[in-house]
Amino acid sequence: MKKLLVLSAFFVAIVIAQSCSDVKRNPNNAYMPDMAYSRAYETYADHKELSDSGIFYNASPVAGTVKRGDEAHYEILKDTTGGYNASAGLQNPLPALSAENMIEAERLYLVNCGICHGAKLDGKGPLVVRPDGSDGPYLAAPANLIEPSIQSGIYYKMSEGTMFYSITYGKGQMGSYASQVSPKQRWMIVHYIKSKQREKSAPATAAPAATDSAKAVK
Amino acid sequence: MIYHRPFSRLVVRSLFSIVFLFVSFVALAQPNGKELFEANCKSCHAIDANLTGPALRGVEDRVPDQKLLYAWIKNNQAVLATGNKYFNDLYVQWNKTAMNTFTGLADADIAAILKYVSEAPPKGGPKPPTPDGGNPDDKAAASDNSLLYGILTLILAIITLILLQVNSNLRKLADDKDGIPSAEPIAFYKNKSYIAVFAVVLFVIGGYLTIQGAVGLGRNKDYQPEQPIYYSHKVHAGTNQISCLYCHNGAYEGKHANIPSVNLCMNCHTTIAEYKGEELFKEDGTKVDGTAEIQKIYKAAGYDPATKKYNDKQQPIEWVKIHNLPDHVYFNHSQHTRAGKVQCQTCHGPIQEMGEVYQFSDLSMGWCVNCHRESKVNFYDPKTGEGNKFYSIYEKFHNDIKNKKVDSVTVEMIGGTECQKCHY
Repeated sequence: MKKLLVLSAFFVAIVIAQSCSDVKRNPNNAYMPDMAYSRAYETYADHKELSDSGIFYNASPVAGTVKRGDEAHYEILKDTTGGYNASAGLQNPLPALSAENMIEAERLYLVNCGICHGAKLDGKGPLVVRPDGSDGPYLAAPANLIEPSIQSGIYYKMSEGTMFYSITYGKGQMGSYASQVSPKQRWMIVHYIKSKQREKSAPATAAPAATDSAKAVK
Repeated sequence: MIYHRPFSRLVVRSLFSIVFLFVSFVALAQPNGKELFEANCKSCHAIDANLTGPALRGVEDRVPDQKLLYAWIKNNQAVLATGNKYFNDLYVQWNKTAMNTFTGLADADIAAILKYVSEAPPKGGPKPPTPDGGNPDDKAAASDNSLLYGILTLILAIITLILLQVNSNLRKLADDKDGIPSAEPIAFYKNKSYIAVFAVVLFVIGGYLTIQGAVGLGRNKDYQPEQPIYYSHKVHAGTNQISCLYCHNGAYEGKHANIPSVNLCMNCHTTIAEYKGEELFKEDGTKVDGTAEIQKIYKAAGYDPATKKYNDKQQPIEWVKIHNLPDHVYFNHSQHTRAGKVQCQTCHGPIQEMGEVYQFSDLSMGWCVNCHRESKVNFYDPKTGEGNKFYSIYEKFHNDIKNKKVDSVTVEMIGGTECQKCHY
């Protein structure tokens, strides 16, 4: 009888051990944790201790710091009207992109902008219109950058500087992308959008096709 | 005179066709409210939600003066200049965000837009039926199998034991019958052979567990901590097809993959305030309210969705780091993604299917080195124009490939397993 009791207890223990959740919520122990976990402050480490002990540290660069290798640094202030209007006068400092750089600019556009503005720049990214045609979760309509008739060509007339400003500080429902794309990359994206617009409008200028079809109706 | 008739016929015909074209053009050009709304208004206004500008439903009730409303839509700056109280108050209320001017819109267009707005069905109507989510018991079923094998083994072991006992008892009975004197029965826990077998089994199992535990020290495969916000990579990277680099841009630019600033969350979530996708579950089966999780971002950002303003009570979201390499290892993301063209999923697993992220690889040195031994370097091929020019300095290997001495070059061959590549 005693034997049976021991055996059944053993059996129950195994079942309990098996039915325990296999979700690992806690990290494993480390051999020499001082080597596994950095003693020095790492990226994103909590630096509350520093300020608690009276050391000033706010985790941001000194105002006006220019990143190394940052060729295209512009200081236009964020401002609802003034800076936005002034940005129209900004010139794109990058020369026209080579084929290789254009591929890189396209990649940047697809990663950062395509999700809303669409891979074809038509404002129908997967967040807005699902590939199956149903509505995505994004309520607003992102700018259709490629259609010349939209708001009498507002995005065709928009200067490169204004586009740069809009990427830097956001415009309307769009927020700032300054944290994600460097100024140089922003100018590259602007180049890409403008080149796509030029591609779109180039055949339109030499389009007697419309009048031809009108004749055919006659 | 002889040419007059065909000529007049031509005139009549062309006149007729012009009239026909004009009539059909007018019929076609009936302004389409929905299209006009989407092309002109929707980037800042929704019908039932406040975006950059106020929700548009009931706008005609709020501004009963039709002429004024049309004037406002066409050129809001002119209306503001007249000092109209309602619109000036509205302008201040919306943080003096200037509305675009729409002088190109005809009255008929505006009427069509307003008609569309007033007739649009309210959002949140009947939802499309959601397909059944993945069976949460799938994982449990897999572990059930091993449990089954365990039970079977145990039962067989018990049967063996019982049979051994029965066997020895029967032999004893037979010996007694034959009159052969037999040794006194010894209890099984005193039986030396039993103890020996038990000790060996214990040693093997114990040794195995000890070694496994020691090897696993500091390794965190399947580590899946609970994060402060239930951020589902499945929803963002899977359903919504957001590129990994949209948030983790650093993975392509430098050493760290980067956790995006809350600003980037807010870029979408100022507009997406509610979660309406399929149901979310935590790993332990608890249901997650997506909308409540979005509210947590607002709290961290110090954002008030009602007034659309930020206060200064921002606080960092304390995400829990999952993938951690020891301090004595150098790892650089861009080296792998940009130069090596390794996909995120190679190391991080099917991240676009993870509700809560877990560590897919054990990030052990053996795992690193194994991949460096097996991975082929994508050399630039001037014939096809494909491959990576980053490796052009390895002239000898390029020549070897050209001379067919080797057919491919692995990371190990260009020094990928040398100690000081990662430890220095």
